[in-house]
Amino acid sequence: MSHDAIVLGAGPNGLAAALRLARAGRRVLVLERRELVGGLSAPEEIHPGYVAPGVLHDEGLVSPRLLARLGLDGGAVALRDAPPVLLAEPYDRGVLVHRDAAATAAELEARSPADAEAYARYRAFCDRLAPLFARLFGAPPPPLSPRGAADWLGLLGTGFALSRLGRATATELARVAPMCVADFLGERFATPLLVEGLAAPAVAGTWAGPWSAGTTTNLLLHECAPGRFVAGGPAALVRALAEAAEARGAEIRVGAEVARVRLDGGRVAGVELASGETLDAPLLLATCDPRQTLLELLPPGTLPLGIEAEARRIRARGTAAKLHLALAGALELPGRAGEPIERLRFGGGHVDQLERAFDAVKYRRISAHPHLEVRVPSVADSSLAPPGHHVVSVLASYTPHDVEGGWTAVRRHALSESILDALEHHAPGTRSKIVALQLLTPADLERSWGVTGGQLHHVEPALDQLFVMRPSPGLARYSTPVSGLFLGGSGSHGGGGLSITPGVLAAETALASTRR
Amino acid sequence: MPVPSPFHERTAPLCRSLRWKDWAGYAAVCSYDTTHEREYFAFRETAGLLDVSPLFKYEVEGPDAAALLKRMMVRDVGKLAVGRVGYSCWCDDAGKVVDDGTVARLDDDHFRVTAADPTLHWLQAVGRGFRATIEDSSARLAALALQGPTSRAILAAASDADLDALRFFGTTRARIDTLDVWITRTGYTGDLGYEIWVERGGALRLWDALMAAGRPHGIEPAGLDALDVTRIEAGFVLLGVDYYSAPKVVLESRKSSPFELGLGWTVHLDRAPFVGRDALAAEKARGSEWALVGLEVSWEALEALYESYGLPPSLPATARRDGLPVYSGARQVGKVTSHTWSPLLKKYVALASVLASHAATGRVLEMEHTVEYERRRVPARVVATPFFDPERKRKP
Repeated sequence: MSHDAIVLGAGPNGLAAALRLARAGRRVLVLERRELVGGLSAPEEIHPGYVAPGVLHDEGLVSPRLLARLGLDGGAVALRDAPPVLLAEPYDRGVLVHRDAAATAAELEARSPADAEAYARYRAFCDRLAPLFARLFGAPPPPLSPRGAADWLGLLGTGFALSRLGRATATELARVAPMCVADFLGERFATPLLVEGLAAPAVAGTWAGPWSAGTTTNLLLHECAPGRFVAGGPAALVRALAEAAEARGAEIRVGAEVARVRLDGGRVAGVELASGETLDAPLLLATCDPRQTLLELLPPGTLPLGIEAEARRIRARGTAAKLHLALAGALELPGRAGEPIERLRFGGGHVDQLERAFDAVKYRRISAHPHLEVRVPSVADSSLAPPGHHVVSVLASYTPHDVEGGWTAVRRHALSESILDALEHHAPGTRSKIVALQLLTPADLERSWGVTGGQLHHVEPALDQLFVMRPSPGLARYSTPVSGLFLGGSGSHGGGGLSITPGVLAAETALASTRR
Repeated sequence: MPVPSPFHERTAPLCRSLRWKDWAGYAAVCSYDTTHEREYFAFRETAGLLDVSPLFKYEVEGPDAAALLKRMMVRDVGKLAVGRVGYSCWCDDAGKVVDDGTVARLDDDHFRVTAADPTLHWLQAVGRGFRATIEDSSARLAALALQGPTSRAILAAASDADLDALRFFGTTRARIDTLDVWITRTGYTGDLGYEIWVERGGALRLWDALMAAGRPHGIEPAGLDALDVTRIEAGFVLLGVDYYSAPKVVLESRKSSPFELGLGWTVHLDRAPFVGRDALAAEKARGSEWALVGLEVSWEALEALYESYGLPPSLPATARRDGLPVYSGARQVGKVTSHTWSPLLKKYVALASVLASHAATGRVLEMEHTVEYERRRVPARVVATPFFDPERKRKP
């Protein structure tokens, strides 16, 4: 049986794309290499009774507007306020950063009244930018060479949104966007812990440290995003997307590894699975990373030379490892005894410590003192672990993909020890509670999820690989030179992190180009 | 600093004129005598022997060799049978010509490509992902062009090749003085002729064997000046003279498509995508802006022009590459890129790039001509190329 469209990958983007296509009446087949749906956000039982929330689980980038466009508003996917993040300090209270400026200001007041005020101004700046970012990152990137009324109207609208920022905010945006996040935050805050803690999400999973140019843009993407979390976590989002797509007639096949894209006269004809089975469809929406789609799945010689050269230049180097823990008890911090906290950052207390952690990866080494982005999903959802027990998900920066000497058992052990040391430093007693442990190096991420380089964002977020240049200038608007092939994964505009934006926008681009 | 070619030990003592030029990094003879006349007439009436070792040469081998070259070339070289040679150009994504050369199918999965410019990088870029190896054999292989009416007799005497079976644009292995060589029935003179390819260690023996076999047949060592006249007579374009390599130019207007160079016949569009196909298909559908034409200058008008100065007509002694404007009335409609006096045809002929709207055969345009430091014009008629096309070139 042939389909109207095949979607490669059943991660959030693939499922969202399938749902969007199915809602337009297309017969959709989703092919997933792994044995379960969800991609990097698939929950996984790491030990009997303990469910980890997947590799990517910061739902703050998921757009409620696009969820509504998929018919998943009004209860199908329930949203909640993002839980606060604790910027932890050993044996001290640290700073609990809320999305809400007033609540954060109250946390900061005792430590630095100036920073408490500065944080309110910082949030206000981000909130002023939010509508512009929602416009820019909730729609296909603007065309570099506009053609036709729709293109010009779109540019006009963007210009209007920009002008609505007001002169001062627009100038400030232009000034800070190419800055390094350490300078940007250093201008605003005096508390070293705050600078480091706020900077961390700007560099997590990137080939950049806080002193790297352009990282402020990453931070603003993070801070100006809708910032709402999904009740039930990414698992609930994935489940809702898959169920809605199937209800609309989409077929999801797991354990179906695609070996290559089949072409007929330069157009997409379908795919061939690793099993040798062939499947037909005139439309292929790939949510795997663009290097893999373009350089490995397409027959050699398919792309124009210039586009192929662009694809080869796409940087996709993984820099973060994941550690999942099953704990017999809670993650307890002496400074916050008895307070269950869902999100925490464990660093060195100064932005330079984060930069030092980055230094290692440049030379293919493991950070001696990694920075940890910690999530304890069982705080919000006790069903993920046995009563009184918890699961902990740690993103450890930085960890090279091609570690010097290779990923031997000794080096894997050194990596998990460095992460556990950092955990123990902030939450003494954690080691003794470990029931089970799962370590995923970037090499493991590449092997298990097929992401080139183990790069969690598919394409490294950097100024030259964002917006109209994501994943590259000639491939930025979801379509490709191969008729019928669209890129809708995290490596396309709107992607990077847990998001459904590229999937939905690529599906809409594909629909527009094949309108019946 | 140019380096000696594998034949230098033989060519240097003969080049008493000391007229050399740099060809692709090698010292190459312009003419052995002070003028190229004797060498030119050897090409056209007996046989000229030209050192073409500086040509860039590449071996493309492997199961995907044909697929790789099908992607690169505008011509469907996959259709070449083993033992056949195809002339083709190759383009960038925008369908503008990068270079031109020959592709010889030496075996099912072994092709030899010749090029005017270094092409290793381009082959590698086009060939990523293909199961094929690319060797730059430019320095490893020495090559001689033996061109002219007696070339077949000379080669018959010197080699064991079955020359009756070697058709125009065919290739075969052969032995000359116990050396293993490849012979291709190709050349740049537009005449009966062959090119002989040998490992560079055998270069001097090959030269000696051909010169010895050629003595009764009027063989003459020939240089690039004579070649330049013959290639214009043959209507062959030259990279860097009649057109420029698209990746190397600054201005879009300097780029040319195969159609604009008169090479549209090499473009095979109805097949799997190749580099530049979409742009070429679009150009074919909409029509090209430029056309390469032959121009034949009116001798009577030229004579009258010089007469008005009280001078006899005078033309450059060698083929020239100075671009000359071409007019239709007051409007410039193109430029001459190569021009020469053809001693055989007794005509002043030129290769020109003109607006397609002015390219019809028979149309009379005007070409700039300078007399006594004054820029004047002479009428020039658009004619079909080649200017000279002897039957013996392709005769079995």
